[in-house]
Amino acid sequence: MRAGPPPAALALEALTNLRGQGARSLLALLGIVIGAAAIVALTNLGHVAQAETLKRFEQMGVDMLVLRGIPAGEGPVRLDRETIERLPASDPDVVEATPLAIGRDGVRPLNRRQVAEEDAMIVAVTPAIFPVAGLDVARGRALGPFDACVPVAVAGSVVARDLTAGQAVLEPGERLSLAGYVFTLVGVLEPAPLEALSPVDYDRSILIPLSCARRALAAGDPTVALVRLQPEADPDRTGPRLAAALGNATATVSVRSAREMIAAMKRQTGLIARLLAGIGGISLVVGGIGVLNVMLMSVMERRREIGLRAALGATPADIRTLFAIEAAILSLGGGTLGAALGMSVTVLFSLLSGWDYVAAWWIPMLGPAVAVLVGGAFGLYPAFAAARVDPIEALRAE
Amino acid sequence: MLALTGVTKTYGDGVGRVTALDDVSLHVEAGGFVAVCGPSGSGKSTLLNIIGLLDKPDAGDVSLGGERVVLAGRAEAARLRNRLIGFVFQSFQLLPRLTAWENVALPLFHRGLGRAERRAKALAALDKVGLSDRAAHRPDALSGGQRQRVALARALVGEPALVLADEPTGSLDSVSAGAALDLLRDVNERLGVTIVMVTHDREAAARCDRTINIRDGRVAGEAA
Ligand SMILES: Nc1ncnc2c1ncn2[C@@H]1O[C@H](COP(=O)(O)OP(=O)(O)OP(=O)(O)O)[C@@H](O)[C@H]1O
Ligand SMILES: [Mg+2]
Repeated sequence: MRAGPPPAALALEALTNLRGQGARSLLALLGIVIGAAAIVALTNLGHVAQAETLKRFEQMGVDMLVLRGIPAGEGPVRLDRETIERLPASDPDVVEATPLAIGRDGVRPLNRRQVAEEDAMIVAVTPAIFPVAGLDVARGRALGPFDACVPVAVAGSVVARDLTAGQAVLEPGERLSLAGYVFTLVGVLEPAPLEALSPVDYDRSILIPLSCARRALAAGDPTVALVRLQPEADPDRTGPRLAAALGNATATVSVRSAREMIAAMKRQTGLIARLLAGIGGISLVVGGIGVLNVMLMSVMERRREIGLRAALGATPADIRTLFAIEAAILSLGGGTLGAALGMSVTVLFSLLSGWDYVAAWWIPMLGPAVAVLVGGAFGLYPAFAAARVDPIEALRAE
Repeated sequence: MLALTGVTKTYGDGVGRVTALDDVSLHVEAGGFVAVCGPSGSGKSTLLNIIGLLDKPDAGDVSLGGERVVLAGRAEAARLRNRLIGFVFQSFQLLPRLTAWENVALPLFHRGLGRAERRAKALAALDKVGLSDRAAHRPDALSGGQRQRVALARALVGEPALVLADEPTGSLDSVSAGAALDLLRDVNERLGVTIVMVTHDREAAARCDRTINIRDGRVAGEAA
C-alpha cells in the first residue's frame, strides 16, 4: 500500500491552488516581497553607508597616529620639534613624523581693501605634513625645505575663497597680513576631506613654516605630531612608546590611532545598520501576517475541499503538507523577488547619492532566508488548522 | 462484507445530549445493495459516517471485509477509506475549479498515483458512467444528473469494495434520479460492488435488495 502523494505532486497541487486564488495570492506575495525588499534594502543601505564612512577614514591610511600634547603644568605645551622629526630615524616603526603648532588669528589680503579680516586657523608645519596628511596643492606650490624661516603661507581652499569676498581668486604671490606680519601666499590647497582623526581642518587653515611659528603664533612650539607607521607596526604598542618619548615637563602625550577610530566607527555604523535591518524585519513580520491572513482565509474558504479530500483519503499529514507548501511558495517566491527589488533600490540610491555600491554575499540571501523563517512561522498555523478540519462537518450540506 | 455490532453514538452532553445511534447491529453481505430508510434525524447519516470510517462509534464494533476495524488514528482511517470505500454525496461535492476527470482522479491523487495513471483510470471510470465526452468539462458546465454521474465515477475510480451513498438522488429530478439508480444497480451487478444507500425515496429503496429501517437511532426492521 502506497503512503500517499509524493512531495513533488503536493507541490504541483499547491501551485495550482495558489494560481486558482489569483489576486489574493498576489497580495500575500506582495506583502512578503515588500517586507523582504525592505529588509534587504535597509541592510544593504547600512552596508553601503558603513563602507562610505570607513572610506573617509581609510583615505588617510590605517597607519596614522595622532600624538597630542596635554598641558602638564601652568605653561603652554612645548613638544620638542627635533625629537619628532628624528622619530623615523630613532624608531623602527615610524615611517614619517611631522610636528604641528596650532593657533588662531585674523587674516587679510593686503591689496584687497574691501575684504574684511577673516578668522582662520594658523597651522605651523614642516614640509612633511603634505605627504603625511595627503594634502595636494591646487595652485602655486607647497612649503619646501628652503622656506625654513621665510614668511610664506599656503591657504586652505575655504579660507582662500573667503578671503576674495566673491571677487577674483586668490593667486600665489599675493600678500597676506597675519598677526601683524606680512606673509607671501605661495599656494592654495585642494579641498581636503575632513577626517575625524585629523587635528586640523586644512580647508579652513593657513599653513606657515614651523620655523616662523614664533612670529605668528603666541606659542610657537609644536603641540601635536602626526606619525605614519610601518604597515605591520602595532599601534597599540608603538603609540605608548612614542608618547613616552615625546612627553616632557610641559606636557603628557595622548595617542589616537586611525585603526582604533575605524574600529569605533565600525561599531557605530554597525549599530545603525542593525537598526535599519530591524526596521526591515518589522515590515517583514507585517508581510508574514499577510501570509497568515491569506492562508487562514484560504483554509476557511476551502473547508469543503479539505473535508472532501480527507473523506477521499487524504491523511492529515498530506493536507498539512499541501498548505505548508503553499505558504512556503509564497514566502520563498516573495523573499526572492523582494531581495532582487531591495538590491535594485539600493543600487539606485547609491547611484543618486554618488556613493559606491557594495554588497556582501549574504545580503541577497537575507530576503528569502528571513522570508522563509517568517512565512514558516506564520504559515504553519494555517497548515495545522487545515489538517484539523473534520470531513463530516465540512461536507454537511448547508 | 460489512457488520456492525452494538454500535452506539451520542452527541453533546447534559440537556443537549442526543443519542444518534443506539445499540445498532446489522450485517451486509458482499455484493449486496442495501437501502437505509428512516425519518429525518433518525441517525442514517451518522450510521453511514461510522461505516465510512469518517466517525468513530462511542461503543460497538465495525467490521469491513471480515476484519474488525480498529482505527489507530485519522491517517490510518484516511488510507483505509481511500482503498476500500467510495463515497457519493447528496450535493455531489465536486471541486468547481477542476475538470470532470480531475475530480474523478482526486482519490487516486491521494493514493499517490502519477498523473498519467490517474488520467487513464479517471477516463475509464467516466466511460463506465457514460460521460467520456465530458471529461474536460468543469462541473458548472454539467447538468445535475451528469454531476452525480461524475461523482459516482469518482467513487468507483479507486476500485473500492464498498460504495456509500447518502441520499444520492436527493438533489435530482425523477428522470436523473432514475438514471443514477440504474447506474448504481448496474455497478452493483456487473462489478460486484457492495452498496449502502441512504434514501428517503420509497421507490429508490424498492429497487434495492433490501431495506434497513432506522427509527430514533435504532434498527426498526428490515424488508427484503
Ligand atoms: N455533530 C453533531 N452534533 C450534535 N448532534 C448531531 C450531530 N450530528 C448529528 N446529530 C444529531 O444526531 C441525530 C441523527 O442525525 P443524522 O444526521 O444521522 O440524521 P439523518 O437520519 O441523516 O437525518 P436526515 O434525513 O435529515 O439527513 C440528529 O438528531 C442530529 O441532530
Ligand atoms: Mg442525513
